[in-house]
Amino acid sequence: MAELLTLQQELRVSHFTKRYGRLTALADVSCRIVPGEALGLIGPNGSGKTTLFECLANVLPSDGGEILRDERPLTVDERTRTLFYLPDAIAPWPTETVRWALDYTIGFFRGRRHLRDEVIHALELEPLLSSRIATLSKGQRKRALLAIGLLTPHEVLLADEPFDGLDLRQSRDVARTLRDVAHGGRTLFLSIHQINDAARVCDRFVLLSGGRVCGEGTLKELSALAPPDAAGQPDLEQVFLALT
Amino acid sequence: MWLVRKEWRELMASRAWWVMLAAIGPLVGVSFISAVRTYAEASGLGGTAAGVGEAFSPLIGVWAPTFSACELAAAFLLPFVGIRLVAGDAQSGALKLELQQRLSTRVRVIAKGGVLIAGWAIASLAPLAAILSWIAYGGSVYVPELLTVAVGHFLNAGLTIALAAATAALTEHPSTAAILTLTVTVGTWILNFIAAVHGGFWERAAGYTPTAMVAEFQHGLIRLDVVLTALALIAGGLGIAAVWMRLGVSVRRRAVESVAIGFVTALLIVAFSFLRPSWDLSEARSNSFSRADEQMLRHIDRPLLVEVHLAPEDPRRSDLERNALSKLRRVMPDLRVQYVSTTTIGLFEQTREHYGEIWYQFGDRKEMSRATTADGVLEAVYSVAGLERSAEEDDDVFRGHPLATPPRHADKVFYGLWPATVLAAAFIVRRRG
Repeated sequence: MAELLTLQQELRVSHFTKRYGRLTALADVSCRIVPGEALGLIGPNGSGKTTLFECLANVLPSDGGEILRDERPLTVDERTRTLFYLPDAIAPWPTETVRWALDYTIGFFRGRRHLRDEVIHALELEPLLSSRIATLSKGQRKRALLAIGLLTPHEVLLADEPFDGLDLRQSRDVARTLRDVAHGGRTLFLSIHQINDAARVCDRFVLLSGGRVCGEGTLKELSALAPPDAAGQPDLEQVFLALT
Repeated sequence: MWLVRKEWRELMASRAWWVMLAAIGPLVGVSFISAVRTYAEASGLGGTAAGVGEAFSPLIGVWAPTFSACELAAAFLLPFVGIRLVAGDAQSGALKLELQQRLSTRVRVIAKGGVLIAGWAIASLAPLAAILSWIAYGGSVYVPELLTVAVGHFLNAGLTIALAAATAALTEHPSTAAILTLTVTVGTWILNFIAAVHGGFWERAAGYTPTAMVAEFQHGLIRLDVVLTALALIAGGLGIAAVWMRLGVSVRRRAVESVAIGFVTALLIVAFSFLRPSWDLSEARSNSFSRADEQMLRHIDRPLLVEVHLAPEDPRRSDLERNALSKLRRVMPDLRVQYVSTTTIGLFEQTREHYGEIWYQFGDRKEMSRATTADGVLEAVYSVAGLERSAEEDDDVFRGHPLATPPRHADKVFYGLWPATVLAAAFIVRRRG
């Protein structure tokens, strides 16, 4: 994966809060997004991962918080230009074929046309191109959605549960594709609830529990905050359990 | 362009639209066939005395009933098509993706509205088929009045689309939006009922309901206030839809913006209600007095006060409105009408001394009449204004276009050919994708 538009400066997610009545879904969430990294948002179900992504992408109003670039808050327009959020469990344009959805993404978002065939090949979408989105299985739909996300022109891709619905082999292939994308320079922020999947792809991690950030850093940095496993190796699962 | 193309494909993929398209043919057909048959019989077909249909106007006799099928489709079928197109994106998750393109939601709503109106234009091929059939029977067509009816139904469709878009954007589920849309439709009928009972402000407000608006157009009358009010309501509805599509904006802010749109729309409607220009495009000039009368009435430059002692539900009151006062308002902007009654049905007011009286006041001169016909009212007006009425010219009399021809082959066109064509088109379009 080459020639991706890349994030030039670090983004700082600063003090995001979201309340639903008395329930606080996000409490003062802050973290960094470093250019070219694959950042994992790790947390159990209901920890606020999707809410954070939707607030960052401005498809859900937050009760506070901003994204800073060079200490300057991004405007709504800049945020829309910089981040693309790929929701989980959606079936957009259900009556259309996968081919049409990819071409529409490229046309409507002025996406990365030159990557079209590469993305289709990497996600093994060739046999599905003529299938309607409504007829795809969960795993097939997830791959089609990932292709949509990868073809958008935004500098940062926020993907919600990119491995959900994929079998073991597909998970490994998608992980490899995402790693390639990150190596190509595109910044990925991936919300993942399976620790093993996250460990396979991500450079750094943000641990989220109960709407709060419990830790942020590389596996090594986080391991320093938690006891090592029996073999004395840093283990993300142990770290997560210890910190959340 | 991508967005418009996508919306068009969504419409073509919508079963609701194809069902509406299939249904509108037989709906128009049944109205057209029945209207043409009645028109033919009144014109002398099947033994009726020839000449009865002498003053028949195709506008009232054929086009008003035929196009009423479009009103039915706009009220009960089109909302579902609109809701499907607007709510479908939110349901499938496409809205969350598309909102991340820096494109105003106003543009999105306009694209959807434009595509829906184009869809309605295709559905309007059914009344067009009726017009072509009528011409084939040898019927007379007066293009300005037909265009007036068509404009009225397009505005009505626009109102439905705007309402459906607003409710679909406001609610979480399409079924809630459908219930809300139908509630508003039924609400306008209730308003018409209240207006008929209570008159006054309600009567004036009911004049801007879709049913009342369409009725004006179906009589060949274009009123500037009605057109502008319809456009304001359409813009207001689409504006509210655009506001509620912005998922990233707080509900409170969206609510405030919606109230502001509602307020501005209401202000515009109030302002438009003072506009008087109107154009009678009916061939029979059924909304106007004769040209000679209109010319004389225009010379009356002082306010004329009419005090009507009739209850809202008294049929004489609606006769007076339809036959005379509505025509008088068009040429006398300074006309002020005041209704006086203590009950709504007037049944037990009949014995009152002044019940049924219509008083005309011009300066300090007053005249009383009980006539509710156009001629009776004109005589009273001329008398109180001290004018002499000139004789009616022969050119002013509409002779009508009787046509004693049955609706040949119309059943085959509307009940057979139309549904078959729609089904075939649906099959081909959906297969091509």
